[in-house]
Amino acid sequence: MNAPTNGNGRIEVMNVTKKFRDTTAVANLSLNIDHGSYCCLLGPSGCGKTTILRMIAGHESPSSGDVRIGGQSVVGLDPVQRGTAMMFQSYALFPHRSVIENVGFALKMRGLGKDDRNAKARELLEKVHMEKFANRLPAELSGGQQQRVALARALITNPRVLLLDEPLSALDEYLRLRMRGELRRVQKELGITFIHVTHTQLEAIAVADVVVVMTQGRIEQAATARDIYTAPRSAYVARFIGGQNVLTGRVESTGGGMATVRNAEGALAQFPLGKSSPAKGAELFAAIRRDRIHLTKNNTYRNGEETNAAVGIVHAIENQGTYVKVTLDLNTSEEFVAYVPDGEYFRDPIDIGDRVVARWDAQDLHLLEDGSGGQQFAAADKDVALM
Amino acid sequence: MAMHDTGKRPWTFWFFAAFFVLFVIFLYGPMFVVYVLSFQGESGGLTFPMNGVSTKWFGELVNPDSRSGDIASSFNRSIGLGAMVACITVFLSVAAGLGFRRRFFGSGVLFYIAIASLIMPGLFIGLGINVFFSELGWEPDWTTSGLGAQLTWTLPFGLLIMFAVLGRFNRSYEEAARDLGATPWQRMKEVTLPILLPGIIGVALFGFTLSYDEFARTVLVSGTENTLPITIWAMTTNVTSPALYALGTVTTLVSFFVVGAALGSIGLISRRRRVSRGDST
Repeated sequence: MNAPTNGNGRIEVMNVTKKFRDTTAVANLSLNIDHGSYCCLLGPSGCGKTTILRMIAGHESPSSGDVRIGGQSVVGLDPVQRGTAMMFQSYALFPHRSVIENVGFALKMRGLGKDDRNAKARELLEKVHMEKFANRLPAELSGGQQQRVALARALITNPRVLLLDEPLSALDEYLRLRMRGELRRVQKELGITFIHVTHTQLEAIAVADVVVVMTQGRIEQAATARDIYTAPRSAYVARFIGGQNVLTGRVESTGGGMATVRNAEGALAQFPLGKSSPAKGAELFAAIRRDRIHLTKNNTYRNGEETNAAVGIVHAIENQGTYVKVTLDLNTSEEFVAYVPDGEYFRDPIDIGDRVVARWDAQDLHLLEDGSGGQQFAAADKDVALM
Repeated sequence: MAMHDTGKRPWTFWFFAAFFVLFVIFLYGPMFVVYVLSFQGESGGLTFPMNGVSTKWFGELVNPDSRSGDIASSFNRSIGLGAMVACITVFLSVAAGLGFRRRFFGSGVLFYIAIASLIMPGLFIGLGINVFFSELGWEPDWTTSGLGAQLTWTLPFGLLIMFAVLGRFNRSYEEAARDLGATPWQRMKEVTLPILLPGIIGVALFGFTLSYDEFARTVLVSGTENTLPITIWAMTTNVTSPALYALGTVTTLVSFFVVGAALGSIGLISRRRRVSRGDST
């Protein structure tokens, strides 16, 4: 009954490696998460994000390295001793126990009497608006209701850290959007650390204070949700998050903090350099936000004469409601997308097959440190338009 | 397709339909004859026609002085043995099934050694145990050598059933229990075993019914007191009254009762828990 109640939920993952037989799931990874923050571990399946979560939860132990919570090493401790609680992907509600028994389970394990644990469980159920379902079995609940019960069950021990393994993936789109708002609200209310594993980019951006983009057992970038979206560190992050186009080219000349870069097709662009000073001919990568690109149909563009522009053929158009997603074929291996505000688009609509010029402001470009990786998320797929 | 469905069935339909009819006749026809003849009149014989109707032959079953031998004791013995076999089979198969979830050194070899007895001829297993007991100077008895012989048959079955049951068991239930502070023992008692209960009842049912009508392995090792199938076998060679049929009817009813009770409770449990897959996965 000496449950650590909402102590310091600061998490430090220090040089952690996790190997399963021959495969390395997590490779020498370090990560700090402040107490009381909402952190999303984001990456495609197999990137090691769930393994990290399970090592923090105490369901897996690191092959080497240390995991600390509130400044103390927790390697080898049980979940209860860590003061963590986990919400499982399929919720793992015990099918043979009623909702209230599920929620009160942790208290029963601690030897609390039935009246006491039911009173506490009822309190938690009220918090997630499920008190009316106390005597139902999990099988009699909808997916969203099951998730609320799982949340109540995990929170009954007053954990300092809540770990959520793909908490929304079992829900339909409508519930997913509602529940992610609710998770964020609960986290703010409790003020404890939430770590949420997901492979959905917008979900991470929407709920998290800190987003950790992972690939192949490493961290690609850990930053605020806004920075992940607007200032990706690498081409991998830019491509995976998907709000940016990655431009590639070789340096022609530098000056005034800018490099003039020419791509393989001969198109010119200016990349802001920041602190770096690349040599002439060096390959540079930059990202440009898709909503900062202006499309025009006029044909005055001459390749190699105008900078910060490129010409291409429209090969897909998708109406997203408030904006229209226009995909261009620039004759490179990478797709190039412009998000055109709906008003602007419908004033002068363009069609698939049209030749358009894309222009942008050099200030909206963001130089990338690393141009490799993530091609699978942004490969030009010219067959799509034919389907 | 150009061809219209004329509703004409292919010849394979009629072939298999005829086969199924034969199957049903072979299975239920003789049994039905036995049930009817067990109500043979007091002066009737082993065959038709019925010479009136009576329950005399059922009465003879419980009369230890009748010429058909002490059937009631054999019956009690078989029920007792079946219960013992069921309990031991459940205990060991559940433990082994849970153990086999983790791969360990030699687990494959161990599994095949355990399963191999399913393909060995039962009569020779009994014979072997008989020889083994007499070499050691032990007296065969249904509670020792008989029990052991039957376990060589029920344990591999129990293990295979547990594999199937555990294959569908989501381990995150156990992790969730651990996450909520359950000790290994609490986890077993409060989560794993209750969730596996329908499968465990299935193992018990198999253990009991396999034991209840097991003959080949048991006949040489049951010692001086016979189990029911051995008694029935003996009766077919020396009893010439419809009491034999009455016994068939009673044992069938017992089997139906046991199977019905087991399936009924499994059905009840799983109906209570049925997960509405529609929106949860």
